[in-house]
Amino acid sequence: MRIIVILGRVLDPRGIVVNRRAGRIFVNREEYILQPADRCALEAALRIKEANGAEVVVLPRALLPDDDILRQALARGADRAIYIAGKPMPLPDDGVMVRVLKAAVERLGGADLLFTGATTLDTGQGQLGPRLAEALGWPQIVGAWTAEVADGAVRAVQRDGSGFVWVEAPLPAVVTFVPGALKLRYPDGRRLINIYRNVGEIAAALERWEAKDLVAPEELAPMLERRGQEFPPERERGVRLTGSLEEIARSAADALRAHLPR
Amino acid sequence: MDASFLDLLMAQQEEVTEAEGGGGIWVVADVVNGEIAPVTLEAIGAARNLAGALGAYVYAVLLGDGVSDLAQTLYQAGADGVRVADHPSLASFAVEPYLEVLTALFQAEGPEVILFGATRQGQELAPRVAQRLGGGLIEHVTAMTLDEATRTVQAAVPIYGGEYFEVVACPQARPQVLTVEPGAFPMPFIDKYRKGEPRMVEVAPVEPRVRVLGPAEGFTPPEVPLAQAPVIVAAGRRAGDFSLVERLAAALGGRVAGDRGARDAGWIGADKVIDLRGVVVAPQVYVAVGIRGDTYHNAAVENSRFILAIHPDPTAPIFRLADLCIEADPQEVLPALLSALEA
Repeated sequence: MRIIVILGRVLDPRGIVVNRRAGRIFVNREEYILQPADRCALEAALRIKEANGAEVVVLPRALLPDDDILRQALARGADRAIYIAGKPMPLPDDGVMVRVLKAAVERLGGADLLFTGATTLDTGQGQLGPRLAEALGWPQIVGAWTAEVADGAVRAVQRDGSGFVWVEAPLPAVVTFVPGALKLRYPDGRRLINIYRNVGEIAAALERWEAKDLVAPEELAPMLERRGQEFPPERERGVRLTGSLEEIARSAADALRAHLPR
Repeated sequence: MDASFLDLLMAQQEEVTEAEGGGGIWVVADVVNGEIAPVTLEAIGAARNLAGALGAYVYAVLLGDGVSDLAQTLYQAGADGVRVADHPSLASFAVEPYLEVLTALFQAEGPEVILFGATRQGQELAPRVAQRLGGGLIEHVTAMTLDEATRTVQAAVPIYGGEYFEVVACPQARPQVLTVEPGAFPMPFIDKYRKGEPRMVEVAPVEPRVRVLGPAEGFTPPEVPLAQAPVIVAAGRRAGDFSLVERLAAALGGRVAGDRGARDAGWIGADKVIDLRGVVVAPQVYVAVGIRGDTYHNAAVENSRFILAIHPDPTAPIFRLADLCIEADPQEVLPALLSALEA
């Protein structure tokens, strides 16, 4: 069985400061981390590998300037990682990446499962998994909390209203995971050192493919175009609520409702 | 003016008639508990604004079983035309049956723009529709403008949960598919006198490949670490009755925490102390109940998206940081706040 995991990176939000008045973003510490939802996808794949036996192959969700997250995945137990070299896009453009990834999956000789994150930390995009499912003609399970494989099918826990349900899809299938669903294991120290020093068997597990060899150059043209940035108004702090206790409580309740996560 | 005369005048309004020729802005309706979801009506309102500038019509698509009666709500919200796919195979949302109906319809009609709600249904369907039709997809849109020269929708999408917004467009690929964030657009005026005759869509039943096996008995999702919790209600030395703090946290779906005063009072453990020396947080909502707000505490919560502070001392430093301040005893405020939240 082969499980392909699509991993992305994101600029650590703790390193950036948004100045609403100046309308500028200051990057104080340029540090990239694995997309939180993609971390869960990798952990789910590694657990199935341990339980059922599988080859875990890692692909990037964008054309990246470096292969750091792929090395991180290899250190955690992935069997193979493919760095797809190409000109990085100015915006995450899943409509374009799906062409590259579909070609990569086909060049790998297909797979039984394709795991990725259900959303990204920065843009909140969740289209890559369903787009890949459509491109490959596979069923999809979106927003899984855990997954297991049995009898030629993948079973996953998905939120349904206020509860959770088991859902099942025949293989091959695409499964996307919610952030925080599974805790990604720590890297193995020896593998980590070897993959960064390019020594041992693990060094051969990291391959480099060229995007232009997978798809025609015109298919790499971005679909999305940045047209500007907008900043929310500056926060007005220290607003005191006045009135009767009921009026104050009602105003506070309305404000809380407006700011609660949906 | 006499209301009955106004009613009579409005009732004379003609039925909405559809223009032929394809194109237009299409909204895919979400049905929740037998009613049109508010986000669908908001999307129709947003589509109407675009339609004015674009010179296009607004259409809505309604899928489900026994949903035909809901079509009039879509007309009342501003749709110029409604297509209804009413079939038992569409009773509950499943990707393949819905996708087949929508793509067949869109391939015949050639829409210019397609809007979905950024709901579970929209987030599963929109990418597949976009992929099958070769369109571009912009997700979680909170504002839209039109580049009239190229008839391209320019959409604002929140980055890092709304710290700032990127304005993006998809000028090359058609159709332009967008998912609209619930609550981001105003609810349109519901004209109760507006009506139309929906067109029924033929449905060829498709078996979904993903099966629901049943409830996941005993499954509990992993607890989110306090540092990543989206809603936190924290108690301080002046919180009074701690059970009210716990009730408020439950009402908001949040986590209970506190400052060092709460730990000293024995209400919370050391792992729940919010402080530079303890846990540093940045939730979407932070409620400080009876917390005075010393330097260490305030520095640990300053990146919270919205802070409500309740403290009887008007000089409490937490009030300089909070968005909304209530100068009162938490023991008096919390019961009233709980009642207001339950109302």
